[in-house]
Amino acid sequence: MMISTTKDAFLKRRYALAEAKRAYNLLKQENKDKITQIANTFNWKIKPAKSETADFALHFTDFLRNTTGFHETKWKLVNRTMLNGEVLLTRDETARLLAEEVRGHIERKLDTKIGLELPPGIANRVELLQQLFWSKKGKMRLEEMPKEIVLDAFPPCIRQLYNTILSGRHISHVGRFALTTFLINSGMTVDNVVDLFRSLSDFNERMTRYQAEHIAGGRGSRTKYIPPKCDTLRTHGVCPGMDEICRRIRHPLAYYRRKLRIMQTATETPTAPRA
Amino acid sequence: MNKIETKAFIQEKFVEYYRQNSASIDPPSSLTNREFAFLLFKERMMLRHKGVKNAEDLRTLLKTVVPSDVYYSSAYYEKPEEEMEAKGWLGADLVFDIDADHIQTPCGKKHDTWTCNNCGATGRGAPPEKCPICKMQKFDDKSWPCEICLESAKRETVKLIDVLTRDFGLSPQEMTVAFSGHRGYHVHVEDETVQTLDQMARKEIVDYMVGIGLEPRFHGMEEGLGPNLEEAGWRGRIARGTYDFLLNTNTEQLEEMGLKRSVVNSLINQRDKILESWKSRGPWKTKGVGSESWKKIVQKAIENQSVKIDTVVTTDIHRLIRLTNTLHGKTGLKKIQVSASDIEQFDPLKDAIAFKEGRISLVVFEAPEFKLGDERYGPYKNIEVELPTAAALFLLCKGAAQVKEEH
Repeated sequence: MMISTTKDAFLKRRYALAEAKRAYNLLKQENKDKITQIANTFNWKIKPAKSETADFALHFTDFLRNTTGFHETKWKLVNRTMLNGEVLLTRDETARLLAEEVRGHIERKLDTKIGLELPPGIANRVELLQQLFWSKKGKMRLEEMPKEIVLDAFPPCIRQLYNTILSGRHISHVGRFALTTFLINSGMTVDNVVDLFRSLSDFNERMTRYQAEHIAGGRGSRTKYIPPKCDTLRTHGVCPGMDEICRRIRHPLAYYRRKLRIMQTATETPTAPRA
Repeated sequence: MNKIETKAFIQEKFVEYYRQNSASIDPPSSLTNREFAFLLFKERMMLRHKGVKNAEDLRTLLKTVVPSDVYYSSAYYEKPEEEMEAKGWLGADLVFDIDADHIQTPCGKKHDTWTCNNCGATGRGAPPEKCPICKMQKFDDKSWPCEICLESAKRETVKLIDVLTRDFGLSPQEMTVAFSGHRGYHVHVEDETVQTLDQMARKEIVDYMVGIGLEPRFHGMEEGLGPNLEEAGWRGRIARGTYDFLLNTNTEQLEEMGLKRSVVNSLINQRDKILESWKSRGPWKTKGVGSESWKKIVQKAIENQSVKIDTVVTTDIHRLIRLTNTLHGKTGLKKIQVSASDIEQFDPLKDAIAFKEGRISLVVFEAPEFKLGDERYGPYKNIEVELPTAAALFLLCKGAAQVKEEH
């Protein structure tokens, strides 16, 4: 209740995550019947697996709802054994997914508005909590993008799209979206983006400008769009293959920031001669 | 007739179709929650965000608007007529699109043509990297629905239905399969359990179909071990793909994959023994074939088993889909439903014919040989011909011909 009155999305997430971790540690010690019972309270379609290597069979929709936030490759649906719409899971894995369900459940609950005024004693505590949080959060560095576009710091996917466009060759819709959002987010102006697309055979200035402005948040919904995640680019065939930095990041903009940092340290450090 | 008159002629035929056949056009489920969109003949403009109250309303609209193409949203909205942000997304069908454009086909797409935007040079097949004449890289291309392309698309559709039934546990009654009227097939799943899946969840389903991010180590591939033919999910698919590959491969292909000469020899010389070994514990311990070689072979097996769907369509939760039994503006054929269990016998270029009567005299500029119904036509080049309405309309919609002037 205290967290939900702070109305702070970050705090809510942290709290829900902590509760989920606690739930996981408790759940993984429970027996199969108990786990089934708890899963049923969340309306999961789950049953014991008829397999030597798995304990449970869970409907793929329940599986997907609780795994799309996970990054380990073992949680990808394509890396699971699935039969008749059911994904095979061990007891420990099921506990992990249930904990994720708990996390989502808590986050949704925290979003419900509390109508009543808190008594002064508790309100003070919430105030203190928030202050403590802000003092810590202030230390988390917000990274700035450089003013100039640094082509050498582009990830392989964006570099390839950029070169393709420069030579006037066709790129897919997803490719265009990735390139435009990337360029806008790394500080390119709408004018420059429009110019870049000018060499395409199906170039239409009015349309391109409209879309670039939309992506930059200047039109319609006013949302500023960011490029798709690496994972999504891979699905749509935009990823040309990973390099060393790619292995450490999950988003093209994260690649850009990291590469910029590496380039910066490389120029700052050992070149100065010793006195 | 010039271009504009030809367009008017096509539209007249579409008017005829919608007047006579509107009763056969059924609205999608949850009609009032769907957005409708109509591509107009005039200026190729898209009329969007339309709502429809009932079947009669829809049929009247089609008869009066007479669009070149009719779409509805795979999504369900609270207010389908509002702008995107205000529609109130409630859910969406799970949709798959298989299009010959995304598949390598044995015909090599010889029927497709490209024209260089710079010098006007033309050629057959997919456009080259650079124009052989002027070295520029911009082209216009034209594609044809050929029977070989459509057969490849059908093969992929059959694979898709197999994965949906066996792995995803859907019954053939829970999916709708249709020929799009041009170059491919659509498969719809309206089951309630999938409607609220978000984009990320759908992306995972796409990755499952295409085999993206698949790591064989999660499917029983270890040193000297591997999956069996009858196992569930991708395990069995990897095994069956490997079996097919080993059955059909040759020395040349194996060498192209970068396998060592000794490995290639082991695989070719022991082929019968290897295929026989599937009856027991599989070929994974074959002498002279190490785990690095198996990795390469398994990659081929995954490629062979993966379903070549359009990844964008399935992940898009606001997609517009062509309405069944309406005409395709690029062919004059109709989108037509086929039951999942009858797809093998289905002949798209026969069953999708919308115009069954009359003949039209045309001047054909250029067209490759094509099949429609039980007849073969063409190839044509700058020739006057009289063709059955369906074949004539097909060429007119493709922009390959114009109606002959009557004197």
